[in-house]
Formats: sequence, C-alpha cells, structure tokens
Amino acid sequence: MLKEEFISKSPVRALENSIKGGLGQGNFGVIASRKGIGKTSVLVQIALDKLMQGQKVIHVSFNAHTSYIISWYENIFDEIARRRNLEDLGDLRDQLVRNRVIMNFTQEGVSVDQITRSLKAMIVEGGFDAKTVIVDGFDFSRGTIERFQKVRAFLSEMGLEAWYSCTLSGEEPLCDKNNVPILLRELLPLISVLIVMEPARDYIHFKVVKDHDVLNPRDLNLKLDTKSLLIAEN
Amino acid sequence: METMSIDIHTMRNIGISAHIDSGKTTLSERILFYCRKIHAIHEVRGKDGAGAYMDSMDLERERGITIQSAATNVTWKGHPINLIDTPGHVDFTIEVERSLRVLDGAILVLCAVAGVQSQSITVDRQLKRYHVPRLAFINKCDRTGANPFKVKAQLQEKLGLNPVFVALPIGLEDKLEGVVDLVQMRAVYFDGPSGEDLRYAEIPAHLQADAERYREELVEAAAMFSDDLAEAYLEGEYTNEMLVAAIRKGCIAEKLVPVFVGSAYKNKGVQLLLDGVTSYLPDPTEVHNFALNLDDEEKEVELVPDPAAKPVALGFKLEDGQYGQITYVRIYQGELKKGDELLNTRSRKRFKVGRLVRMHSDSMEDISEGYCGDIVALFGVECASGDTFCHPDLNYAMTSMFIPEPVISLAIEPKDKKSSDQMGKALNRFTKEDPTFQTYVDQESNQTIIKGMGELHLEVYIERMRREYKCEVEVGRPQVAYREAITQRADFNYTHKKQTGGSGQYGRVAGYMEPLETENYEFVDMVKGGAIPVEYIPSCDKGFRAALQKGSLIGFPIVNVRCVVNDGQSHPVDSSDIAFQLAAIGAFREAYDKAKPAILEPIMKVSVEGPNEFQGNIFASLNQRRGVITSSTEDGTFCRVEAEVPLAEMFGYSTVIRSLTQGKAEFTMEFEKYGKVPTSISDQLKKEYQEKRKKDAQR
Repeated sequence: MLKEEFISKSPVRALENSIKGGLGQGNFGVIASRKGIGKTSVLVQIALDKLMQGQKVIHVSFNAHTSYIISWYENIFDEIARRRNLEDLGDLRDQLVRNRVIMNFTQEGVSVDQITRSLKAMIVEGGFDAKTVIVDGFDFSRGTIERFQKVRAFLSEMGLEAWYSCTLSGEEPLCDKNNVPILLRELLPLISVLIVMEPARDYIHFKVVKDHDVLNPRDLNLKLDTKSLLIAEN
Repeated sequence: METMSIDIHTMRNIGISAHIDSGKTTLSERILFYCRKIHAIHEVRGKDGAGAYMDSMDLERERGITIQSAATNVTWKGHPINLIDTPGHVDFTIEVERSLRVLDGAILVLCAVAGVQSQSITVDRQLKRYHVPRLAFINKCDRTGANPFKVKAQLQEKLGLNPVFVALPIGLEDKLEGVVDLVQMRAVYFDGPSGEDLRYAEIPAHLQADAERYREELVEAAAMFSDDLAEAYLEGEYTNEMLVAAIRKGCIAEKLVPVFVGSAYKNKGVQLLLDGVTSYLPDPTEVHNFALNLDDEEKEVELVPDPAAKPVALGFKLEDGQYGQITYVRIYQGELKKGDELLNTRSRKRFKVGRLVRMHSDSMEDISEGYCGDIVALFGVECASGDTFCHPDLNYAMTSMFIPEPVISLAIEPKDKKSSDQMGKALNRFTKEDPTFQTYVDQESNQTIIKGMGELHLEVYIERMRREYKCEVEVGRPQVAYREAITQRADFNYTHKKQTGGSGQYGRVAGYMEPLETENYEFVDMVKGGAIPVEYIPSCDKGFRAALQKGSLIGFPIVNVRCVVNDGQSHPVDSSDIAFQLAAIGAFREAYDKAKPAILEPIMKVSVEGPNEFQGNIFASLNQRRGVITSSTEDGTFCRVEAEVPLAEMFGYSTVIRSLTQGKAEFTMEFEKYGKVPTSISDQLKKEYQEKRKKDAQR
C-alpha cells in the first residue's frame, strides 16, 4: 500500500470526520480513561497520522524515558506497516523521525510557563514548525483553569493544536450524568474535544462527550483492538 | 620471585571513572601513595614537572587528563588491588569499553562544586552497561562552593542511583578538616605532611545530630538488602559487621551506592574510600563473566573463577616498553604459568608464556604465575588489543569480533626523512592497539591516510606520534568517510571483447543489481546451463568487488548492493579469469548510473547538555547543522538535547557550543548510522570531485 492510500484510509480520518474535521488551531482535546486502557496508543496513532502526512509533531511527556516513547512509536508503526503492507518503509521511518521531537519534563510540578517557553524555543530557534502537540501523562489534578487558559493562549499564538491524555482514577462514578469525567468538569469550557474510552466486552469503546460547541454524548464508530492496540472502524 | 599464593577473595580489580577535571588523576596518585608504592606526591600539573604517577605518557601529563588505561597493582591492608585507569572521552570508545570489561568495581569521582556533569552521565551509563558496581567519591570538598549534599541528590535525580552517605565532611571549603565515618561513628582526621597519619576522635558536637540522622538513613537503606540487619535493627541490636555486610550486598547488586566525601588534593578522606573498596566492592568470584564459544556459534559460556580450570584471559591493552611489546591481560579462569601454552583465538596462533610480570605504572615485578582473577602483563606476545588467550583445548573469545567502521579520515605527511621512518613504526603500533584506528596509503595521491572515530581520536594519535616517536607530520583537512549506494534495481548486459594480435579477451556478463538493506555486498549466481563456465563465476564476483571500491559519484566505496548474474557468454579460446573480471566491472559501471546512486554520510548521535537558559541556543546550533533533534529532556534547570547530526557539520562544534553557552554546555557524540546526503550538498560534493579529477588529470 502506498502512503497516500494509507493516509486516506486511516481510522484517524473517521475520528476527525466525527469531530467536525479535526481539532483546529488554538484548540486542545482530551482523551480520558482509566489507566492501562490504551490512551498512549491512541495519541501515538494520531501523531503517526500527522507524521505520515509530512507534518511535524512535538510529543511532550513527563517522567518517562525517551526510549520508552520511541518504542511506542516504533511498535505501532511496525504493526500498521505489517497490516497495511506499506511500501518504502525505510524512507517512511526516516520521515517519521525527522518530523517528530520528544520533549521530556522530568521535574515534578513543572510550570506551564517553562513548558511553553521550551516549546517555543524548539519551534522558533530549533526551526521545528510543528502544527500538533501531543501531551501524554499530564496530571490533571494539577490542571487549573488559569493553567489551561495559558495553554490555549499559547496554542493560538503559535498556531498549534494539542491532544492530551488524562488518566482517571478512584472509585466509581468517575463521570457525571453527561459522561463528563468529574476531574475535568471545571475545565470543560476550555476543552474543545473530549473523548472518553471505556472497555466493552472484547474491545475498547470511544465516546465523544464534547465536540467543539456540542455537549451531547454519542458513541464513535470506532473501537480500539485490545490485542494490537490499533484503532479500527466498527 | 613470588611464591606465596593469593586468596582470590581478597583481590579487587577496580577503575576510577570521572568527568575530566574532577580530580581523577590526583585521586589515583593518592591511592598509590597511601598504599606505600610511591614516596612522593606530585601534583597533576605540578611545579616540579614530575607529574602524577598514573599518567605514564607525556601527552597526558601536559593536558592533565588521562587518555590511555594503565593497570597498576597496589596492596591495601592485605588486599591486592589492581587499579585500572579508564579513559573518559567517548572518542575512545573501544578503549573505554575494553577497560570496563576487566573491572569488577569502580569509583565514580564527582566534583563537589560542579556535581554530576555530562561526562559523569556518560561514564555512569557505561558502568551500568557493563554492570559494574560502584562507590561514589565526592571530591574537592575543599573548594569554594563545595556542596556534597547537592551532589548526592544529583546522583539520585540525574543518574537514577540509590546513593547513601557512608561519610560526612567535617567543615567545607577552606574549613574542611576531616570526615565523619558513619559506619564506625567517629571523626577521622588526616595528620602528617601528606595526611598519612589517621587520628580518630569523637564526632564534633555540632555534627552529632547530623551524623545520627545520616547513620539512620544508611542503616535503613542497607536493611533493604539484609533480613538479618532489618530484624536486628528493629530490635535495636545490630552490629557494624551486619551493616557493612548489608551495604556490600546492596552495592554488588548495583542497588546501592555508598557515597564517600573528601579532597584528594588536601589528603582528606582517601583512606576511608580505600577501606570502602575492600569492604563493599566485589572480588573476582562475585562477578559473572562470559565468553563466546567460537566452536558453538558464539554461544555464551560462563567462566568459572577457579584456579584449577583451563585458563582464559583477555589481552585488553598493549604497550611498547623498553623490552618489546607488553600485553596486559585479565585472567578470568584458571591460572597463567610460565611455560604454559596458550592459543590466541583470533590469530589462531599458539604461543608459550614467557616472561610474566605484575605492573606498576613505571616499574614491574617478575612473577612465575598469574592468579585467577588477577591482572598481569605478558612479554613479547604477538597479538592485537582485545585478543583472547585460552588453553589450546578451548576456543573462546571474550568479545565479539565486531568493530565499528571509522567515520573520519585525515591525510598526514612526514615533515622530514627521520619522521618518515618513525611514522611507519608509530602507525603500526597504534593500529595494533586500537582496531578503530586504521591507516592506508592512497593509491592516487600517494598520501598516508589515517582513519578513526572522531576529530579528537585522530588528534591524540598525531600528538602521540610527535611525543613518543619524535615524528612530525603535516596534517590535512579532516575528511568525512562518505559512501555511495544505489536506490533502485538496474539491469546489465555487458560484453568485454578485445582482439590484439595474440590471444584475445572475451566475456559477457548479464544480470542485475539491487539495493540491499543490511549487508554491504552480496553476490548471487543464477546462471543456468553453463552460459558462464563455472570456473569464471568467482571472476565475476571479484570484478564486482573491484568495482565497489570506488563509486562514480565522488569516488567513495559503494555499499548495500546485491549483484545477481543470470546469463552470459564465453569463448573457448579468448575467455579467461581477467576477461570475466573486466566484463563484471564493465557490467557494474553500466548498471550503476541507471540504479540512481546516492551519496551517504555518517550521521552522529549527538547529546548536548547545559543549563535551560541556553536551550534555544542549543536547538538553533543543531538546527543550523542539518541536525534532527530527536528529544529534549528537562530536569529543573538543566536540559539534555539529543540529536542526529551529519558528521560533516560537526567540525569545530566544541568551540561553537562553548561560545554560545558561556562554556556551560557540553556535548558528546558517537557514530549512529549512514544517511542520505541532501541533493544540494550531494551536487556540491560531485562538483568538487569532478574538479579534483580534472586537476589530477592535468598533473
């Protein structure tokens, strides 16, 4: 399969189509679930989709070794390549590495100012004109309104969009009657797209809780295969 | 001659690893002094010009850094200790890794002011890779700004170690008086002109509370490794012996790092560190060592530290002495005795053990046998560095035969007749010592070319030529080792025909070439029905190999190509070996241009470390060098940026990065892979090559 065909058939297209064509500059989306459900895998697939299209992606992580993140990308890419029988693998891999940068912040409680300063340095001085930021492992219990107002302002200024993962923990119920995770309720006005992942019988199920201005929970026509950790259309 | 046998359990093989300038050489020299092997203390850059003991090479003495590893035997309280000096710079990877192979334990030296620096991280990573248990010594506690507590925290944060103080400083900076021994719970002062007289005293009152707190921390950390200690501690009745045993267990398991403090320069704390070496670091029987069995597809076999077993030893370093070549060996299994026969498993040559010595940095002691676990030196053995010597019944290799290809080359030319004679000798020596250093004479320019793993790597050998061999050379510009490779399949069908009076030449070779992923070259014979007679098939292979030597783009070797021959034709009289070789060369050239060849260049993995405030500058400097930033890791005020950068862009980077960051950032690099050169640069290289050829032709 050629790259172009792969991009047009990617399940990420279906995801984007169901949220008005995508996130949009200046916005951020959140994918929330309990631990170990596959959030990182979904974020990496969104990133790989951008990378294959030749766009640059910054992957922000906390408290993780870069080799660990790199192996996430490699494993998922290899799995996709194998299933879709992709051609020109060597060149594609080069393209992925060239267009991706991992920024790791290992200090506990790193400030939003420090992160945005570093991202800006990478984009401006590092000449890395990314359009998408992936933020994996941010602790939303530290996510104040003020912090995310700053995030939105920064994303708008730099023409970026960002996808966050959010780990939900504690006792049920984790979500309110509108399916909004209680942890994120306060931030909801700032979040453009909110997707909650829940385990169904033998796969993981996606629910769009917020789609830009629409707050009306509905199921996505997508699932996450629990073995391959790949997104597939129903 | 020594006759007494040594108990292997008392033996220690240790190395000292450190960032440049953290005082490694001073510390080594103090260790030698306290072990009563030398009688005067010289400073590294001392006024008397005598230099420190470990640095036997002038060059090292002048630079104040240690480049080559030297093994020195000392004795501390009945423990024979082999001190192996390890080079720290990544440009000397092979040498560093070989030294690490022979260590059972290490002292990680840190500067109390600068703390964990970029090279501390590099050497610690190397120690981890080879599973070397370590002690930390926070040196230079007498310096202004010394803060061993901060450094200990960094050991945890930046290196991910589990450090625990076993000693505390009494006073800091110019008020450093001595140390508190947290195991014996007493103060230790270092009297006498060189701190050789130890005086024990009560812990000063103002430090009592701190000492108790850190003692508690130590016992709690150690109790994790010993149920005995844990139980006894809870009952409030444990002994210092139990504590020492538990620390030792944690240290050998690489789960605990005992931290010592002091100042080697001011003669404070070194003896405690030496006690730590014997108390906490493993003896040779406590370390697992493996060899590759060459008779069984390089399968790993564990070596047994048993004197009665058949001997296996690794030659890890060569030196030219007054009496010929000296080979330093580590004995992993069995014993080496004078007159024993050994097999060099690389060269397949057998030899008899002649003179056997134990080395001190500038003197040696004759011995009749080398013990299991020990490090000794052999005289007059024809070998290269890294060779394995075994009992002739065994066929083991201590290291895989894989050696990285050099990525950079330089032309050198002797300045006069005398230098020209000496140059050959020097190069012969260096290439034997270090397989990543290579040399050849370029057929066209008739220049001698040296090749290596980086700018500094080659610079050091040029310096050594000057100093050790009095050989002065003119040095050319560093040249990147480019490669050429095809990007698509192309067919060939070439006839080589020559009729000149007598017997002619005839051969036709047909088939195709295609890119190959991992190997450099593969030849495939798919000729059917004897279109090319069997005896000329190897001639085709030979012809292709000859053609690979020099690509038509910029004259560099061609890699990653498979040549398939599937048809051809011969002539009963005019066909010959040479005719088919020439036909294959012709066929290769015919297809090469059609196969869209590209230029490849060495890409280095570069790691830059510095304060956060310079992050933008670091990003920019890598970006300007066609670098691909793969990651950046921030840890508070400090950041580490990893990137892949073409070697061709890295010349002079050390100067640039220093001036961009007020000297606060540092970088390391190592070879990563070969990558395609972008079109604009590839066009430039081709143009330069054409011009050079034109010039050469005019000459």
